[in-house]
Amino acid sequence: MIRHLFTLIWNRKRSNFLLMSEILLSFFVLFAVSVLLVSNYYNYQQPLGFEYENVWELSVNPGQDTLNRTEKVSQIMRRLQSTPGVVAVTSTSSNTPFSFSTMNTTQYTYKGKGGPLTERYDADDDMVKVLRPKVVAGRWFDRRDAAATRPPVVVNQKFVEKLFGQESPVGKVLVTSDGKEEWQIVGVVETFRSGSDFASNDPAIFDRRILQDSAVLGAYEMPVLLVRVQPGSGAVLEQQVVKDIKDISKGWIAKVNTLQENRHDKLKIMLTPLIALGVVALFLIINVALGLFGVLWYNINQRKAEIGLRRAMGATGSGISAQFLGEMLVVTTLGVLGGVLLAAQFPLLGAFGVETPVYIMAIVLAALLIYTLTAICAFQPSRIAAGIQPAVSLREE
Amino acid sequence: MEPTLTKSALLPDAAASISLKNTPMIKLLDIEKVYQTDTIETVALNRVNLTINKGEFVSVMGPSGCGKSTLLSLMGLLDEPTGGTIEIDGRSVTSYSDRELARLRNHKIGFIFQSFHLINDLSVLDNVELPLLYRAGLSGKERRQRAHAALDKVGLSARTRHFPSQLSGGQRQRVAIARALAGAPEIILADEPTGNLDSVMGDEIMDLLLGLNRVEGTTIVMVTHDENMAHKTERLIRFFDGSQVS
Repeated sequence: MIRHLFTLIWNRKRSNFLLMSEILLSFFVLFAVSVLLVSNYYNYQQPLGFEYENVWELSVNPGQDTLNRTEKVSQIMRRLQSTPGVVAVTSTSSNTPFSFSTMNTTQYTYKGKGGPLTERYDADDDMVKVLRPKVVAGRWFDRRDAAATRPPVVVNQKFVEKLFGQESPVGKVLVTSDGKEEWQIVGVVETFRSGSDFASNDPAIFDRRILQDSAVLGAYEMPVLLVRVQPGSGAVLEQQVVKDIKDISKGWIAKVNTLQENRHDKLKIMLTPLIALGVVALFLIINVALGLFGVLWYNINQRKAEIGLRRAMGATGSGISAQFLGEMLVVTTLGVLGGVLLAAQFPLLGAFGVETPVYIMAIVLAALLIYTLTAICAFQPSRIAAGIQPAVSLREE
Repeated sequence: MEPTLTKSALLPDAAASISLKNTPMIKLLDIEKVYQTDTIETVALNRVNLTINKGEFVSVMGPSGCGKSTLLSLMGLLDEPTGGTIEIDGRSVTSYSDRELARLRNHKIGFIFQSFHLINDLSVLDNVELPLLYRAGLSGKERRQRAHAALDKVGLSARTRHFPSQLSGGQRQRVAIARALAGAPEIILADEPTGNLDSVMGDEIMDLLLGLNRVEGTTIVMVTHDENMAHKTERLIRFFDGSQVS
């Protein structure tokens, strides 16, 4: 019977080619949608690389006050460190976790090899106590780095993968392309996906920047303070922190957010386009399904006499239904095979920087969706075909 | 012209023929068939009682719409009667399931239609193989052999790779006959098998059917509008307005 199915499909290649083309195109639409959905889900499943619970973000805005900004920030940090309920304090750049700010660069090179687009963060020695990134090689910054001849940096594994491959990066020196600046890698953290839960695992570098009382902070250089507090710390501590900041800075505006709140807000903003995409995808899928359903319905109506003949020759109703489903399965497989061959080029060419497992999952998901769609679309017409009285359908010709 | 069944092959086996002729192959008891729509009720067959014996060649005649084709559909288990009982080879099929009816059609009955009903996208050989596809336990090789043998019988062994559209009307009907023969059925139901053919082709097909009946002892029921063809058969049944009149 399988040979018979293939013979029929081959002999009807012209009409089946159209159906296969529709399935191939549908597969591609579903593949594109699947890549987006799977890559977001895949990213969501990956570890962020830091701990955001019980971490507060303190933004201080000095407004028009330009006097002793650095000294005041240092005082604020010292006061916070001594406040009961505060575990650790770090000052960093404005691209804090879950913020809408990014700072990326391609300035780092190694032995003439250009580095990847890298997210750059300011960090001090205590960031490891606040965000608790997982150090997998070397170490985090500490006092020893104050005497280093080159500014120390910590990179993430993605950065290592892109610039060093299998080589160990600890101790290696990064330079700018013009050779004017140099940094020494002192440690490697696992991942650091600070953009959002859906952010991809991009290369990241932490630049040791210690707040010096003597330094002058410009209008756009105000650091953001991240504070790890004891679990369960709430409004009382928050009021105390704001009061302390205002006592020191007089007139500065201080804003406290938890990273958990920031994450939640970012998640909502990131989910909106994804939900919109999901709705568009759903409409696409319904369109594809209706198209397939129409083609199959027409196909079966055109073959009523053949159905009657097969029944007369000894086919059962369920046999007829199975034959139509089988034909559809073979045609779908041929269409999907073509689609898979084309879709496989994306991971092979490393297109769009999407991880290979994402592409593979998207291909599998798109194939499953297409098979499910065609099975659903073929089921009803096949059921109708099975229910046709042979005597009636033989009169159709 | 391709060879058809030879004269020597058509000689009847008299002894076997006599022993078979008294055994009923198809028995219709009080068969009624009513087609019903929301507003109209059409009686296609009205309490028909008919027995076709094994090895008989019966022709059915009557004006259009008198119920001949309906009768053939019921005999071929392609339709269900509104009332009455159908017996095939001594067994009532009233309580048969779809699967049992399909099996009975496949093993016992061959069909020949006025419009041939060949699948245009299949070759002659694949068309002839069709009933064998639904028969369990047959290998692909066996199916091919049987199909070739059936095509040989109707003189079309040189046309196995052709498609129906590449054949004449007479050749197509011979393919349909080969398809009916491939499953070695005991009954052949032919619905105006010569209706779409000219007289020469019609005679050729009729000779083939007569040969089958005489040589193989196949029971044949043929619906026809052609008196000449009908008179070549052993028995002629006439229908009018859903009832048997002679």
